[in-house]
Amino acid sequence: MKSTQYSEKTLDHFRNPRNVGTLEGDDVAVGRVGNPVCGDLMDIYVRVKDDRIADIKFQTFGCGSAVATSSMVTELVMGKTLDEALEVTRTDVADALDGLPPVKMHCSNLAADALHEAISNWRKGIKPELDTPDESAGCACVTGDLPITGIDELTGKGVYRELEDPSVLTDARTIVVDKGDASARLAIALTEHTPRVVFMTAGKEPAISDELKSELKRSDVKLLTESRMLEVKGELEVEKTLVHDLNEDEEYELVTDAVVLLD
Amino acid sequence: MTEPVYLDYQSSKPVDPRVVEAMLPFFTERFGNASALHAVGDDATSTLDDSRARVGRLFGASPEEIIFTSGATESNNLALMGYCLRNKRKGDHVVISEAEHISILNTSKALESLGFRVARVPIDQFGRVSPEKIRARITDDTILVSIGWASNEIGTIQPMRKIAEMLTGTGVALHTDAVAAEGLVPIDMADVPVDLMTLSSNDIYGPRGLGALYLRKGVRVTPSIIGGGQEMGLRSGTEDIASIVGMAAAADIMVSEMAEETSRLAAYRDRLIKEILARIPHSHLNGHPEHRLPNNAHFRFAGIEGESLLLSLKDENISVSTGSACSSKTLEPSHTLISCGLLHEEAHGSLELTVGRFTKESDIDRIIEVLPRVVKRLRVLSPLYTD
Repeated sequence: MKSTQYSEKTLDHFRNPRNVGTLEGDDVAVGRVGNPVCGDLMDIYVRVKDDRIADIKFQTFGCGSAVATSSMVTELVMGKTLDEALEVTRTDVADALDGLPPVKMHCSNLAADALHEAISNWRKGIKPELDTPDESAGCACVTGDLPITGIDELTGKGVYRELEDPSVLTDARTIVVDKGDASARLAIALTEHTPRVVFMTAGKEPAISDELKSELKRSDVKLLTESRMLEVKGELEVEKTLVHDLNEDEEYELVTDAVVLLD
Repeated sequence: MTEPVYLDYQSSKPVDPRVVEAMLPFFTERFGNASALHAVGDDATSTLDDSRARVGRLFGASPEEIIFTSGATESNNLALMGYCLRNKRKGDHVVISEAEHISILNTSKALESLGFRVARVPIDQFGRVSPEKIRARITDDTILVSIGWASNEIGTIQPMRKIAEMLTGTGVALHTDAVAAEGLVPIDMADVPVDLMTLSSNDIYGPRGLGALYLRKGVRVTPSIIGGGQEMGLRSGTEDIASIVGMAAAADIMVSEMAEETSRLAAYRDRLIKEILARIPHSHLNGHPEHRLPNNAHFRFAGIEGESLLLSLKDENISVSTGSACSSKTLEPSHTLISCGLLHEEAHGSLELTVGRFTKESDIDRIIEVLPRVVKRLRVLSPLYTD
């Protein structure tokens, strides 16, 4: 069976998803599951009145079945009590869609999990996180200064502790580690010389001035938050970096030509 | 339903109707076995010789340098396995790039299980391999370098001439999988000193189930299929004359039409790249801006996932391809995009458009009209996109 061989019902929910969007207010909780690295990320918002789901919305980044399962779960539990909603399982969602391709049963059938997460957050009194900067972001600098394996061996072979002339990194896939305003300005300047600049910070936001933050967002710099560089790899020169995704507590490799780590 | 739009020529091409016509007599009237000694067999033998010469002509090769196989995967197996097994006395080390076709990557793994060592050269962010990086990995034990002429996925063309010249006189053989490039860029064995080259029939609008391996005179390989000694003893089995005639007819058409065709395709490609990047915010081109196959436009769009994109376009009767994990059997994103340095979430949002012989200007109009709307809808659904 092809991974995209979906039932008509699944396709219908993909084409016309129900209850798309977000919710706000004191009576709202949100559940987020998945990981963009794997290709799926779901947010399910619930509005709770008298222990019942009075309203429910979702946003999903993912494949056809990820969108369809999110849409279906919102239909299945609308108006139900929280306890009833908690009884809805992944299998129920898949069954309601007349089944999913086997390969998709585990990877993109996360909607029930997101719903359970939202209900659990509601019961714990955890409010939806809005996009306001997190005060705890400042502590990032502490973790950001942990030693990175391979830095000394590869200094001069793709690892830069200072960079006077950004043009030496023409067309290099460059990671600039967040070391404050000077590093962010350097990252922005590098976009003149290479289309691939990643600005990596351990915090939820970079530890830089607000003005630079918005400049960074407007630029071609790819911002990677909650990420810490563990190791720089390569035999003759920098080839890869090992990155720790602090949010998901996962490690992955990123193909890299240059690492800029200002002192 | 609107008229179908097919923009996935890298995955499969229709057989040119002129090719089908050339093949037809060989199913019914001229059905001989080239090994038979009677007149019907003689007709097959002379047809085989003639076809070999016509396929060779497209690539500047002599007839005896063309070995017909069942397709590109078999040719890649014969090239890598066959060369290494035959020449293992000289060394046990092979160099490939990280962006090779899956049949090269998996054959290389099989070589490792037989005791050979394989070095994988990284590619740059545009998908290019540098000759210097290949050179840095060559040791006294290196016997073979295998680099695809162009990427079937992101369309990046490799500096084959430089790689070939760098290896000349070193005793290291050079193999190239030219499937993605054949019929789209000039390939002349008299001009670029490659030793082994993989070719496919369908990629020049010939029938499926047929390919060829170019073997420069004097290059020795161990046979892949053992039997009655057909194809210079390297690939036994009664020749499929109808398909071979088809590949020869496809090669003839390329010889006369390739220049005109590739400039037409390049104009479509350039229009796709220009308009899509202009009409869709936060869109990027994957692959090389200049060293790029004339039929390939490869994009990524922030905040959306490729399979959703493919499904949405399917609903519009448009066929495309994506490097997203969610559309593959293994659920792994494209290794080529990851080797270019993209994050997984970026590779997931990729879209590959490949045009070909039967693409019309109206096909380009359709995708340019539909795609921005589809991307916009998926971004409304996505928690990763706020703008």
